[in-house]
Amino acid sequence: MDRRIVITGLGVLTPAGVGVEALAHAIRDGRSAVRTPDHFDPSGYPSRVAGVVPEFDMADGVRKDQKRYLRKNAKVMARDIQLAVAAANRALLDSGLPAGDEKAGQPVLPTIDHTRIGMVFGTNFMPTEPDDLAGPVRAASGHGGFSLKTWGTYGIPQMFPLWLLKYLPNMHSCHTGVLWDAQGPSNSLTTSDAGGLLALDEAVRIIRRGAADWMLAGGAESRINPLMLIRYSLLGRLATANDTPASASRPFDTARTGQVAAEGAVVFMLEPLDVARSRGARVYGEVLGTGGSTTTAGINACDPDGRATASAVRAALADAGLKPADLGAVLAHGAAYEPQDRSEAAGLAAALNDAAATVPVTATKGVTGNMGAASGLADLAALMFLKAAHVPPILNCDRPDPAVKLNLVRGSPQPLAKDVVLATTLAIGGQAAAAVIRINR
Amino acid sequence: MKRRVVITGIGSVTPLGLTLEETWQGLLAGKSGIGPIRLFDASTFPTTFAAQVPDFDLKPYVKDPAPYAKVGRNVRFAMAAARMAFDDAGLAPNAVDRSRFGIYMGSGEGIVDFDTLVTSIARGTQDDGRVNIGPFAEFGLRTYDGLRELEQEPNMPANHLAAEYGLAGPTYSCLTACAASTQAVGEAMDLVRTGRVDRMLAGGTHSMIHPLGVTGFNLLTAISTEPKNEPWRASRPFDRDRGGFVIGEGSTILVLEELEAARKRGARILAEMVGFGTSADAYRMTDVQPEGRGAAAAMRMALEDARVGPEEIDYISAHGTGTTENDKVETRAVKLVFGDAAPKVPMSSVKSMLGHLIAAAGATELATCVLAIRDQVLPPTINLDTPDPECDLDYVPNRARKAEVEVCLSNSFGFGGQNDSLVVRRFIP
Repeated sequence: MDRRIVITGLGVLTPAGVGVEALAHAIRDGRSAVRTPDHFDPSGYPSRVAGVVPEFDMADGVRKDQKRYLRKNAKVMARDIQLAVAAANRALLDSGLPAGDEKAGQPVLPTIDHTRIGMVFGTNFMPTEPDDLAGPVRAASGHGGFSLKTWGTYGIPQMFPLWLLKYLPNMHSCHTGVLWDAQGPSNSLTTSDAGGLLALDEAVRIIRRGAADWMLAGGAESRINPLMLIRYSLLGRLATANDTPASASRPFDTARTGQVAAEGAVVFMLEPLDVARSRGARVYGEVLGTGGSTTTAGINACDPDGRATASAVRAALADAGLKPADLGAVLAHGAAYEPQDRSEAAGLAAALNDAAATVPVTATKGVTGNMGAASGLADLAALMFLKAAHVPPILNCDRPDPAVKLNLVRGSPQPLAKDVVLATTLAIGGQAAAAVIRINR
Repeated sequence: MKRRVVITGIGSVTPLGLTLEETWQGLLAGKSGIGPIRLFDASTFPTTFAAQVPDFDLKPYVKDPAPYAKVGRNVRFAMAAARMAFDDAGLAPNAVDRSRFGIYMGSGEGIVDFDTLVTSIARGTQDDGRVNIGPFAEFGLRTYDGLRELEQEPNMPANHLAAEYGLAGPTYSCLTACAASTQAVGEAMDLVRTGRVDRMLAGGTHSMIHPLGVTGFNLLTAISTEPKNEPWRASRPFDRDRGGFVIGEGSTILVLEELEAARKRGARILAEMVGFGTSADAYRMTDVQPEGRGAAAAMRMALEDARVGPEEIDYISAHGTGTTENDKVETRAVKLVFGDAAPKVPMSSVKSMLGHLIAAAGATELATCVLAIRDQVLPPTINLDTPDPECDLDYVPNRARKAEVEVCLSNSFGFGGQNDSLVVRRFIP
């Protein structure tokens, strides 16, 4: 009999604000956090709307020694890494595990075996911030023009030494691990939008095989990086409703113009139910099942019949020992890119079968935009925080795409008849992931 | 009762060859794959050499070369390695249930369009040294190729493999630096054990032999810069005069199958995967934990998982990068785990010949363990001319050695402190 795995901590940073409450209320109240970005001049881009996390402090709530570490290293932590660490810190603090009294000379997390706590982050590989190369490029350009020869001679010496480590996708885990002395299993997945739910899937498996008692499972990305915006613009994936940012992200809506690029980080603390009970931890919910599959249609394509989503959902339900009719709601990826929306919808309809007509389906990206690997985990976090009283309506889904044959929740919230929900995520050209969660109400 | 996981096929392209056998024969002969960098003009870089995969045509390895026109070297290597792995396994993917056939790749990034990046930055750089994104984006949007940009994402090799072979099971990509493909194989093994899948393509692929890759490692002073005129001597794990690792590139992919599934189709079994351990140093961003605590924990976890005592290990494939710190600390870690028996356990580093394949290193080194078991011979650590008193174990110096090999331990300890170990053994039915 597999150990039951529960969620005992939430750490959330999204365009709706710092903390899960800000996200949950924005979703509940139908308030979009999408706006015209002002952290750089977006005028050159066809898509000029984004979900940007407001100012945050990685060191919120942590000990002085941890604060010192963060102040010292912030400059060599890329944006997505900072978001991930901030979310991980919040999840750990939220979990109620004693952080340790620094003044009394206690180490961090003094009540647990540090070899038994680990983490899996879903993320991407963030391209370099242009500023990091500006000085070196200038230095290499002044000697009759830029070349690899001048780069080697004049450019490299102007680069800061830890440049590579600033961006490596395993640094979310590295810094979080150092801050909390987490010596257990540690992985960094690069599976794009499916990363958060696949991190959840792997973290659960790691606990179940006995390799850890506590696992952080998170997803963190910043797609508002200038180079990533170029990439996704060239691929035609991004929304262009630039004059109306609040209504630019339109999951499953006929008037959608694409995804809104966003950033965010969501981290769950996971532990076995018996461990959580023995320390009196607050339980947000239970992971009943997870599943994954992948598109075989090509790296920039989505299955028109949604087979990857269908497989992932069936696998998650089978893992949970449940049927579609047992679900109270579906939290869909709904990234508002037409082929992706349709693929996911077709897959959900196939997997839900007869229940497709009745199980309410919602999506939250109308509020946040597409935060990439934080998808799925964000939706679940919001619902867990709200104790899932209702299924929130899909913001900006005013005229649903007729090709989407699902029971989309629009206009006003619907009651959540059962406390079990399904979350799905879908990476274009890649993985589909699903998770079945029982929400503690 | 754990489900048993066996290796039924391996494919590999490395700086020593376009087939696994070619690489293996080169390793046994003590050949080096390191030479001057050909892929770009590195003449003024602090490091001017690397271990490069020989040129090859992708056509024989894929159904249709057209979807691969814009891929990075990482995808090219992976597609070739996967094709050879399937052939080696005698496995046609469409003859088995592909919904229970997943992928787990420790996979690095594609190749940055350095020209366009540099030009767009130059266009945007203001007097205050910061980049005005307006002109930066304007140039980039009309110059970059969208698909080439997509190919930079580390998930692409797995996505291409899924599309080429119709593998619809759970698919993962990880990038825990130098430990990535050891971790990929270990987690793939766990997926098979849990019954989620019956088969996995597991391995790694990477090429960091590009301007920003070499730049990045030079800045960290992690890579060897000498001797420029005799680069085959530059990768010197455990040697007193070692000066860092040498960047390599390549891909190794293994076909993992649940034992009964393998038997049912009459597969030839190469070896059995029996143990996986994974830990984190949780020490520092840049330095390895000096006592080797994390590495020791990963090794112990793998041995325990395999139900194998340290005394049963016949060979260790070392992480052995050839940096001052790693080799010293790795030696300490091995002593922590093996105690007084440590000096008697042969441990070599094929990075001395292949260079460091970064995300692809772990799977490649695991493959050498499988061949060591098959051929009863240990690959050497070459360039071991002057022992380092702090590295006093048996590193199989300079010449391959016949040995009785039943059980091997393969280690990868990544930048950022992720440690992974695998135990592989001769298959006994």
